[in-house]
Amino acid sequence: MTTAPTPELRRVAPAVHDVRAFLAAPWSGATWRAVSQLVIGGVVMIVAATLVIALVSVDLSILLVFGLGIPTTVATLLAARSFARWERARLELQLGAQIARPTYRSATRPGWWASWVAVLGDGRSWAHLAYPLVAGLVLTGASVAAGIGCGALASLMYPPVAAWQGVDVSTGRTVLAIVGGIVLLWVSAVLLQLLAAVQVRVGHALLGPSARQAAADATQRAAAAEQRAEHLATTRTAAVGAADEERRRIERDLHDGAQQRLVALGVELGAARRTAANDPQAAAAAIEHAHREVKETLAELRDLVRGIHPAVLTDRGLDAALSALAARSPVPVEVVVVDPPSVDAASGSAQAAAYFVVAEALTNAAKHAAAQAVVVRADVVGDRLRVVIADDGVGGAAAGPGSGLEGLASRVAALDGTFDLDSPAGAGTRVTVEVPCAS
Amino acid sequence: MRIVIAEDSVLLLDGLTRLLEAEGHEVTGYKTADELVAGIGEPLPDVLVTDVRMPPTHTDEGLRAAVHLRSLHPRLPVLVLSQYVEQRYARELFAGEVRGLGYVLKDRVADVDEFLDALHRVASRGTVIDPEVVAQILARSRRDGLDTLTPREREVLGLMAEGRSNAAIAERLVVGLPAVEKHVTSILAKLDLPPDGDDHRRVLAVLRWLEQAPTTGDRP
Repeated sequence: MTTAPTPELRRVAPAVHDVRAFLAAPWSGATWRAVSQLVIGGVVMIVAATLVIALVSVDLSILLVFGLGIPTTVATLLAARSFARWERARLELQLGAQIARPTYRSATRPGWWASWVAVLGDGRSWAHLAYPLVAGLVLTGASVAAGIGCGALASLMYPPVAAWQGVDVSTGRTVLAIVGGIVLLWVSAVLLQLLAAVQVRVGHALLGPSARQAAADATQRAAAAEQRAEHLATTRTAAVGAADEERRRIERDLHDGAQQRLVALGVELGAARRTAANDPQAAAAAIEHAHREVKETLAELRDLVRGIHPAVLTDRGLDAALSALAARSPVPVEVVVVDPPSVDAASGSAQAAAYFVVAEALTNAAKHAAAQAVVVRADVVGDRLRVVIADDGVGGAAAGPGSGLEGLASRVAALDGTFDLDSPAGAGTRVTVEVPCAS
Repeated sequence: MRIVIAEDSVLLLDGLTRLLEAEGHEVTGYKTADELVAGIGEPLPDVLVTDVRMPPTHTDEGLRAAVHLRSLHPRLPVLVLSQYVEQRYARELFAGEVRGLGYVLKDRVADVDEFLDALHRVASRGTVIDPEVVAQILARSRRDGLDTLTPREREVLGLMAEGRSNAAIAERLVVGLPAVEKHVTSILAKLDLPPDGDDHRRVLAVLRWLEQAPTTGDRP
């Protein structure tokens, strides 16, 4: 049996918890919600309790007389589950009570008999069956409370009605009627709220999951949360590490490439300027050399910039960026993008992760795998962007520490994606990456 | 002069070699620090030019090779080129003898005249410290005496720290030699440094003074 959470009970019966709510009890929304649930719940419970008593009596009697009672009892219990679902919805709608759906016992073996045994042995279903009877008692109490309320109103109306009718009423009686009416009005309102809270408690106890179930669920949730936190911590550290590694790589590329080229260029031009007067021919040759250097440096910078983040990916999306990658690859690449608009609708981070995985995989296919052909396939499966890169190379690739693939795996993991590398020796390499589109 | 260059960028090594050979020098090139340490020996070159970052680890092999070679051959003039000049590296390099030692930003080699000047100064047992290192040292210096200097005197102090002679400072600031001498005397007096004519001892004194922690006994 689960107990109702305190905030929920405060909402259902504020007058019991709070002085100001107590003072406002007769015209509080909680009271009138209690009244409305009494009216509808009363009708429901009269019908349900009657049915339960009738059905259980019939079940028991034919169980005793014939063996036929078993299927009808199973049917009654299954009906109770439907009723419980309906009643949980009603309590949520009318009183704002959030009652969890219980887990029912499932059959341990296949077959109709095992499933019947499971239903018959399920304590929760029997609790559902008991609910209309218990709730009926609570609602009976609530009816009495409502009756007191009517009496209070009658008592309050007594003096003015008597005066209008010309009946002479003594001052003592008038005071008694008014004071008594007010007291009864408050008693009724508070009782109504209190009994609505009792009704919610009964609902939790008989319509919700059992205490053991609830505890197990809570433990499971806590374990899942802990696991998730651990996963997030790991992937975050890996992502930060991957980003650092990426920055170091960019610094190295710039340092070893463009910076050295520009320094050499400076030397070249400086020397040309020095010799311009004495040896114009040597100067002209140096300038020509320098000019060639500038163009090569520009090409190198362009490649490097594209490696940091390609403009086409931002401007035109993954579909276009994959075509550009394929065009630059020395190995023939076939790109298949299924439903490009849905692929391009994925978030920028998801597309960038997919792009860099493809870029790295294509580089590896050309550099290490000696592949003759590569197929790149991108599509959206459910809410995940999936990219598969398959080559026909030598295989045997591993995402070892410090490798480009490992950095990409971290990046994918940080987006809650999955990274799968299948590279048996001699049978090609297949990289499959899935990232949530919304990441 | 006989010059040894250690530089892993082939382009730059070629450029420097061609430049220096055109100047009439004899050049030997090495592409890694290990090759440099193994290859250099008697007779020592007139000057060694080395990059800091070289294979295999691409960190500070060149710097360590320079420090190592200086400990083996204290009289070997070394000019260290670096893509980044940092005060911390400079301190390690200049921890011992500062004569015939230079540490400059690699970009300076594009300024051919400056580079050749630095090379000659190091080869003739001078000290060359990159203005950027001096700027870092000046910025970090917490000495009280500094704020008593006039802006012009600070400029002269910076050039002194770079290892320049009075004549070079005069040329750089486009003023007469007597004016520079007047500034230098004033600076040395204000900072309570010995009035010494020797450029090398002067560099050392200035650097040590700038890097010292402030003391309460400092003169204003």
